[in-house]
Amino acid sequence: MTAETASASELAPGEGKYVYCIIRNDRSRDFGEIGIGSGQRVYAINHKDLSAVVSDTPIVIYDPTRENVLAHEFVNETVMREFTLIPMSFGTVFRSEKDVLALLRSTYQAFTDVLDKMQDKIEFGLKILWDRDRVVAAIERDNDEIRRLKDEITRNAASSTYFARMQLGRLVEAAMEDASNRYVNDIHEQLKSVSVASRSNKVIGDRMILNAAFLVDRKDEKGFDEKVKAISLQYEDLLSFKYTGPWPPYNFVNIKLKLEKAT
Amino acid sequence: MGLLTNILLAPFLGPVWGTRFTLDKVDRAVREQLTDDTPIKEDLMALQLKLEMGEIDDDEYVKQETEIMQRLRDVREWRERFGMSIGGGPVRVAEEDETE
Repeated sequence: MTAETASASELAPGEGKYVYCIIRNDRSRDFGEIGIGSGQRVYAINHKDLSAVVSDTPIVIYDPTRENVLAHEFVNETVMREFTLIPMSFGTVFRSEKDVLALLRSTYQAFTDVLDKMQDKIEFGLKILWDRDRVVAAIERDNDEIRRLKDEITRNAASSTYFARMQLGRLVEAAMEDASNRYVNDIHEQLKSVSVASRSNKVIGDRMILNAAFLVDRKDEKGFDEKVKAISLQYEDLLSFKYTGPWPPYNFVNIKLKLEKAT
Repeated sequence: MGLLTNILLAPFLGPVWGTRFTLDKVDRAVREQLTDDTPIKEDLMALQLKLEMGEIDDDEYVKQETEIMQRLRDVREWRERFGMSIGGGPVRVAEEDETE
């Protein structure tokens, strides 16, 4: 039987170690009682000049509840104020300090390389949703063919054919896809000069047209911020912006750890 | 032998290849559905977005989150039952790495 599931708040911490991130550090560290579960002490386990930032935990599977995810993120945000970090996936639990040390030892080189690359880089999230009705209105205003067809259908409401309406629907759909691509490309283009890299994730729901993460140099943080604000003003009639960060580079670190289930 | 095969074919152990083939396919589809948490994670992200956009309140969020967590646990249980890997739970560095 494997680990039991629990929200963990009622469980006493055990020998297990919940790992939040990897940083470059060779001293003993105490980040406070902010760990997942019920505010466990967050501290460093060191190997050479690398540390795993951990807290003690019973051996459980953590559900990705908002509470747990926020606890995980809060620790990384705290550590990030002082360190460049490699975030671990949510819910990564090792059985013992010895197992954490084995991770640091066996992945030492990859961690070191990525920490060098991520030095002073932060991530911002940008989700963009559109207001469908307004976009359709804008399209009807700007697209001659659509406007003519729509006028015609309205004028001859009784006699206008099913096919004319179908045709209109199709044209509007195509124009919307076109508009979406145009907005997204323009926004990417404008943010290029203030970011190092970007990554588009799958959109959520049917109103979202962009779900992206941007890797930004700390020195460009202000510039990026201002650019996003300018863009959201530019599009304020059509799009709503959900802008988050700074985050650790969750979307830009991809070290495949060779981990297996500890029985 | 998969789940459905066990339930449906147990009494007939004759060479009914045609039937068996179809059932194997159904079995696979059912298994994939039972063990895939991608749509559940998408639901969770959609729920989070609703909360962030102020479309639902905290109470409604928690209510729906509870249901989604149960679905995730169900998938985890099926994956264990089928001997598949599960996210979360204790891990360690795979053995071949330790000798490096």
